[in-house]
Formats: sequence, C-alpha cells, structure tokens
Amino acid sequence: MKYWKYMIFAVCVLVAISLPKFLGVYPLQMLNIIFIYMALAVSWDMLLRSGQMSLGVAGFCGIGGYTTVLCTINLGLNPLVSILIGALLAGLIALLVGYAVLHLRLLYFAIVTLAVTEIFRILVRNFDITGGPEGIILPNAIFKGDAAGTYWLMLAIAVFTIILSWVFQKTRIHFALTSTANDEIVAASSGLNIFKYLVIVFVITSAIQGMVGGAYAQIYGFVTPESSFSVNFVLLPVTMVLLGGSNSTWGPVIGAVLLSVIAEALKLVIPYGHLLVYGIIMIVAILWLPGGIYGIFKKIGAKAHN
Amino acid sequence: MRIKFLVGLLLAAFLTGLFIVAAPVQAADPIKIGAILPLGDATGKDGIRSMELAVDEINKKGGVLGRKLELIVIDDEMKPDKGAAALDKLATVDKVDVFVGGMSSGVTMALIPGMKKYGKVTVWIGGASGKIEQALEGQDWFFHLHTWDYQQIAIFNQGWDEIAAKYPNIKQQRQFSAYEEGPFGTNGFKATKGIIEAKKFVIQGEAFKSAALGGGDYRSVLRHAKEFNPDIFTWVGYDKDAIPMLEQAKEIGFAPAVYVGSPPAWPVDFAKSPLNEAVVFYSMWNEAIKNVSKPSKAYSDAFHKKFNDAPTTYFGPLAYTNIMIVANAIKKAGTVEKAALIKALEATSYDSPTGDKFVFGKSKFINHQAYASPKIMQWQKGKVVVIWPFNIATGKLLYPFPAWDKR
Amino acid sequence: MINSIVNKFRQRNFVLGFVAVLVIFVLLGIYKPYVLIEGIQRSSLYALIALPMALLLGVVGIINLAHGDFMMLGAYFAYFMNVQLGMDPLVAVVPALIVFFIFGMISYYITFKHVIGAPELNQLLLGFGLSLVLGQAVNIIATNQPRKLSLDYVSSSMKIGDFQFGTYEFIYVAAAILVLVGLQLFLKKTRTGQAALAVGQNPRGAKVVGININWIYLIVFAISVAIIGAIGPIFGTRNTIFPEVGLAYTLKSFALIAVAGIGSLTGVLWVSLILGLSECLVLSSLEYAKWSDIIFFALIIGVIMYRSHQRQVK
Repeated sequence: MKYWKYMIFAVCVLVAISLPKFLGVYPLQMLNIIFIYMALAVSWDMLLRSGQMSLGVAGFCGIGGYTTVLCTINLGLNPLVSILIGALLAGLIALLVGYAVLHLRLLYFAIVTLAVTEIFRILVRNFDITGGPEGIILPNAIFKGDAAGTYWLMLAIAVFTIILSWVFQKTRIHFALTSTANDEIVAASSGLNIFKYLVIVFVITSAIQGMVGGAYAQIYGFVTPESSFSVNFVLLPVTMVLLGGSNSTWGPVIGAVLLSVIAEALKLVIPYGHLLVYGIIMIVAILWLPGGIYGIFKKIGAKAHN
Repeated sequence: MRIKFLVGLLLAAFLTGLFIVAAPVQAADPIKIGAILPLGDATGKDGIRSMELAVDEINKKGGVLGRKLELIVIDDEMKPDKGAAALDKLATVDKVDVFVGGMSSGVTMALIPGMKKYGKVTVWIGGASGKIEQALEGQDWFFHLHTWDYQQIAIFNQGWDEIAAKYPNIKQQRQFSAYEEGPFGTNGFKATKGIIEAKKFVIQGEAFKSAALGGGDYRSVLRHAKEFNPDIFTWVGYDKDAIPMLEQAKEIGFAPAVYVGSPPAWPVDFAKSPLNEAVVFYSMWNEAIKNVSKPSKAYSDAFHKKFNDAPTTYFGPLAYTNIMIVANAIKKAGTVEKAALIKALEATSYDSPTGDKFVFGKSKFINHQAYASPKIMQWQKGKVVVIWPFNIATGKLLYPFPAWDKR
Repeated sequence: MINSIVNKFRQRNFVLGFVAVLVIFVLLGIYKPYVLIEGIQRSSLYALIALPMALLLGVVGIINLAHGDFMMLGAYFAYFMNVQLGMDPLVAVVPALIVFFIFGMISYYITFKHVIGAPELNQLLLGFGLSLVLGQAVNIIATNQPRKLSLDYVSSSMKIGDFQFGTYEFIYVAAAILVLVGLQLFLKKTRTGQAALAVGQNPRGAKVVGININWIYLIVFAISVAIIGAIGPIFGTRNTIFPEVGLAYTLKSFALIAVAGIGSLTGVLWVSLILGLSECLVLSSLEYAKWSDIIFFALIIGVIMYRSHQRQVK
C-alpha cells in the first residue's frame, strides 16, 4: 500500500515518455513550456520551504543560458554538456552569493537576489563577448529542433527536479530547515548547522534554474539580455506555486500545468485582455485559496481519512 | 422495432449533418495564411487590422485561385517561447500554407529553429537585427520585408548626402547620436558610426535609458550633445521618449541645426506639442505620404472606413503589403506548392502603400530582401512634410532648427 | 520639532554626516553644477515616490507591489481631467488626493484586508496581481498609446551666465519635503498616527490596549494610496505615461526602502540623495554612463550586506 504512490508516479513518467508517439508538435511544444516553468516553480518552492525567497530565478536562468551558448559557440562543446556546465556555473555563483547573503531576512534576501540578476543582465549587455544588447544566435537549435528530442530533454529536467524535491522532503536537511522556518532559536539550539543546509539548498535550486535557462537557450537557439533574464522567469513560477499550493512538490506541479493551460487557452479565446483575466485569477487564488489547489486536495484527503 | 427506427433516424440525421458541415468546406477549402504578431503592442494592433483589411479586400474580389483567403493570427505576447509555440500551432494544427508577420527581433530569433525545421514559405516583416539575417543565410524560403538595421542607416546617410548636395548651406560633418541602450538603439549606432567615419566625418554617441524601461531623464546625454555642438543631432528610441526629450532639450537650451528623432512611431500627442516645429524624423511611412502616393491613399481611406481610426505605425501599411505580396504570388504561381510559390515571390513587383515598389533582391546574407525605404520627414506647423526622397517630397527642409528663445 | 533638530546636532555622528554632505555638495557644485542640481531633482523624485510606500511598509508592514500602478492611475486621472475639463494637472493634485483616498479604501477592502497577518509572500503576490489588473484595465480602456500633455511651464529654465538648467523639477524637491514633513507630523502628532506606530510595533498589544487595528490598517493604506495617486499628476506633467509606467518605480522604491532600513522615513530621503547624486555623477561622464545602472544595484547589495554584517558582529 505504501508503494502505490511511487507506482503511479512511475506510470505517469512512462506515459509521458511515450507521448511524442501520439501527440503533434504543438502540444509537445506546449508541454515543453509547462516543463520549463514546472522545474522553475518546484525548485523555487524548495528554497521557499527552507524559509528563503529567491527573486534571482531569472538571473540564474540567464547565467545558465549565456554559459551554455558561449560554450557551444566558442568551445564547440556538445549542447547537453554545455547545459550541465551552465548549471554548474549557476550553482557556483549561487554558492558565492549564498555565503554572503543567505543569513539575511526574507525581504532583504529577495531584494539582493533581484539586484544580482540585474547586475548580470547589465554585464552581459555591456560586453562584446556576450554579444552586447543583441545577444547571440546559435547556428542550430539542440537536436536540430526535433520536437520529440527537446520534449524528452525538458521532461528529464522536470522529472529530475520533482524527484529531487521529493527526496529532499524526506531528508534531514528538510527537517532541519523546516524547523528553521518555524523557529530559528529552537533549531539553532538543537545544534543543527542551518546556514550550511540553506547554502546547499540554494546552490542546488539555483543550479536547476541554470540548467533550465541553459535548456531554454538551446531549444530556442538564442540568448539576449532582455529575454534570457526575463522577469517572466520569476513571476510565472511564483504565481504557479501560489495557485498550486506552496510548501509541497505537487502544488507547484499542479500550478504549472493549470496556469500554462489557462494562459494559452485564454489567449486563443480572448486575444485582447487575456492578461486582465489572468490577473483576476491570481487575486482570487490568493484571497480564496490560501493553500492553493493542492491545499484543497489535502483537506479533502484528510476528511476522507477521518 | 421502435429502437431500430430511432437508431436509423439518428444515423440519417448524423449523416445529413456531416454533409452539411463537410460540403461547404470542400467547396471553399481556403488558402490559410498564418500570422504571428504581438497584439498587445501598437505595432501588432496596426498589423492585425491591416492584414484583416487586405484579406477582406481580396476575398471581396473572389479570393485567390477561386479559393478564399483565411487569416489565422496568434499573439506572441512578445515572449520568445510563446512565439515558437505559435509557429508550431500554425504549422501542425492549422496547417497554414504561408507564415507571415513578425515584429520584435527577440521573438524572431526564437522562431528561427522552427522556421528552418518546417522550411515553409515565410514572408516576414519583423526582426531588423543583422544577426537574424546571418542566421538565415542560404534559406531560399525566407523573404524579408523590413530593412536590416545597417541598410536603414545607409539609406538615411544617402538621404543627407543628397540633401547636402542640393542645399550647400546644410552641414553634416559633426554628428551626435543618442540611442536607447537596447539592441534597437545600439545596433543602429554601430552601423551609423561605421558609415559616418568612412565619410571622414566626426561622430559621437551615447546610450540613454528609454522611458519605456524606467528611464526618462535625458539631460546628461543632451548636455554632452550640446558640448559637442553637432551639425546633426539624432536620437534613436521609442515613442515614449519623444516629447520629454524635446522638452529637456529646450530646458537646457540645446538647439542643434538639425534635430532628428527616430522612434518606430510618434505618440499622438506629439502633433499637439508646440515644441515640435522643425523636428526632423525618419520613418518608413506616415499618413502624409497619401498626398503623393495613390496606393497609400487607397490604403489610408480603406483603413479609416473600416476601423474609423488611423494606423499609428508603419507596421500598418507594411502588414498590408505583406498579405498583398503573398496573395499576388499565389495568384501568379497558380498553387501554394513551395517551389512554384518561391519562384512567383521572386518575381514580385508591388506598389505598396508605404510609397515604395517592393522588388526582392540580395542583401548581405540572404537572397530575398525587399523593403519600405526609410524617408526623411519634418514637422512643420503641426503637420508632417516629406523632405526626402525628392520624388515624393511634399516640402522643403526648414533649416536650421530655430533657437528656443527665437520662437 | 526644532528641539529635536537641535538635539540631533549634539550627536557627533550626525554633525559629521551633515558636514560631509555639505562638502560633497560644494565640491560637486564647483566641479559640475548641473550634476548637483539635476542630482537633487532626481533624488527628490525617487524619495517622493518611495515615501508613501515607506509609510505603508515601514509603519504597518504591508508590501504593496501595485504602488507604482496607483501612481500611473493618478497620472491618467490628471491627463483626462485636463483633456476633458481643461484642468491643470497641478491643480488636479487636490481632487486626486480625495479620489485616491476613497479608491485606496475600496482597494483595501476588496484585497489587502484579507492578507493582513498572512505570509509576506501572499502580500507580494496579491500586489502583483493587482498591479497586473490595474495595468491591463487601463490598457483596455485607454489603450497603450503613450500620452503626454504639452505644458509650457514643464520646460521652464533659468540661466546663470552660460549655465542653463531646468527649474520645473524643483517641484519634486518641494513635494518630497512636504510629504516627508506631513507624514512625520501625522505619525507624531495625531492619535491615528501614534496608534499606527503602535500597531506596527505590536499588533496584538495594540489590540489589547483597545486600538481598532483594522481601522488603522485601512487608514494608513488609504493615505499611502492617496499620496501616491496625487504624485501621479506631478509625475505625469514631466513624463510620458503608459500602462506600465509605474512598474519600474515600484521596484526602485522597494529597493530604496530596503537600503534605508524598513521603518525609517528620513532614511529614504538620504538614500535617495546618495543614489540620485551618484547616478547623475556617473551619467555625466561620457565613457562610464552605461554603467550607471550598476551603481543602484551595487549600492543595494553593499548596504544590505554591511548592515547584516554589523548585526552579526553585535
């Protein structure tokens, strides 16, 4: 009985892997977008669960994106390898930033991560090696733009992130950190090295964001300061977490699927003003669904249990 | 017995329904054109309206090859990933015959892998970055209807050379360029610098933060320009910068002999500003052209009639041109089949409402480039006057730009 | 008030700081006078826009990410009052105060009332959602065509010898000081203001003492929106307005407050001054102007880290 959850997950992944056999390019492309934001949302929530809020998602995406493009163009590396290098570099920068600022309070930490993003954006805009304001176009997209290939790549990243988040919820780090989020003094007196754990989580989640940014750059075949450091990389995942339900793995997943589908459907139905409806959905979600959609499921589940 | 009767009835009804639904589809079977535009933006709004206008006009005359044109527009929301998804939907779900549209360079860059994958005939009005041209080198299905950034600059300079040749009192040896810090402004400046320095003139440039991105204080740039004392001062930015830039120039007493602005569109309120006298600007099109161009007048009138509104950017007539060129080529080819359509497009010669004749030729990297040539215009007494090219000019250059205290 | 200023002068640090500021002003004024003047004008705009947010965030702890969008609405309000009724935008400040006070109350009732005491994240997102709705609503009603009134006095200037500079933006300076003094008086001299401070420090305690904390939140929110709404017309005289015009200023204000230290209104003024002057100084150099944005973010990181370091040392 305990393993049925894993069984369902495994079946879902198998179904997802076989989807390119049945779906056209457009649904696959939509799924790509969903996976991109899903990985960002889940990783962002992982840090949130530890009691810190990063607004530097766009920054790490951008760092990942630029690194992978520069590696492929200048060093001729395999795109997949260069995506990994992008993730590593994002993680390294997160390590430096994290050591310096992770002991700050939520709001201050958020502002500093935002500032780091902006600094990197200005840097890439003003240097020639990064293509200046125009950015760089890759001669070829990854897998030559093959829809199934890019789909599997994004699926792999999303599943990896979900499993990581899942495992993380069951580890010592998680319990140490949730106790920080709840009561710092208690946690500190129990002898846990919270700061170290926080840095670890920040580095891991930032590396994931760098990996997503790298994959994004390889799939769409370009980087520019505006779109690689786009504010959408922060706003959309955050909204998804909120709508789906924070402090869980499945909340962000639900949020990512739902919001991407709603946004695309709204656009096709109401070409003008779909953003207005989107904004209203957000307000309604915050006001009337404080625990997100996953929160409702949990409540229903708890009631059924009783 | 009764059940069988019912089932039979239902089946019959279903079949009739199927015929009713299917029959007209078979007869018409429209030619599908898929457009990608940013509908939230003024350019996209002008673009979609003008495309609809063109499609309506064509369909009223019976369509193309006896088939109706069907326009399917998807909003790219100015997001690269959404643009790429839109291309996939148009190609695989709607199964369009031709791709048209385009606006921002960033979105166009994200579309390149998809465009290459499908290899469908694409007639594109967006993306001016030279890097996009380079990325599309050797793709015979790609037709581009917008000037590349370097072409644009070359044409302005040709314009000034001709003007200076005609009026010897006009000087252009010292130039100052204020440009917005994004790709739009920066590329323009790079290209300008090369051309001006090749002519052995002096040029100084400085970037500014556009009001569109949270800027709006241009005084330090304007002061540098004033110190430099240029013969021609040019700013390249967005419509949001137009009026404050002028007000701040007045504030610090900066009145160069020629004051040029080069936004993609002018804000409606600019015409009402008392400061606009003698401001020169570059644009592919302005409604003033209808006085000298018949297609432009026809387009303007039809647009007013259909929407009771005026197009505010050159993307209006350009999008109209986009559809017309595609429709004419399909007509000439007699099919939407790729090779024949490319041949027919290559033979295009179209008198556009932008006031230009569109004929495809080679540019640096691609073989199918045609464009609305930028024109030099000037505000005079609250109205727009076309200065150059001389063959469509509606007035003479007011020179020099009057000092602020002598107005 | 005068007493408190005299007291401040008795503190050594304050005198040192004051003298340092004076020296910087004089040096800048000699080196490049326009950097000083335009720097002060720019700083005042930053401070002016940040102050109402500092009140809301610093005193009662509400983060309103739709801050800049209320300013955008105020600017549109003045624009249409001018186009429809011929009212001067600077006169429109008065009706804007009233209209936005009421609008602030309504917005609070519908939205922020429900997230008081909820995690900061919920407030952030609510503000973001509200910002999206306000911006898009204006986009649909008034289109995203940029608008700008043509007013003669906006480009008025003064000439001393060869040096010509704009005088209109001194209105930002006056307005910033007016708002700061007004808010200080409100917090120190009025019952509501004092109650607001109490609520900010300890909501539960304030409730026990018998303060109607819901009322305090409502009033402070409405005052903040009224002020930022009334800044809209002043901002809109000088700048082109469009539906997204406020976004950049929300972010800037937020960062300024974080640097100044949440809760400090005068701190906002000083930080704005440092920021505005240093930005103008960098912009005044032709070669280094393109790095002026970095100053802002480097300053944020530097100050915040310095402060947290100090706290750790303690």
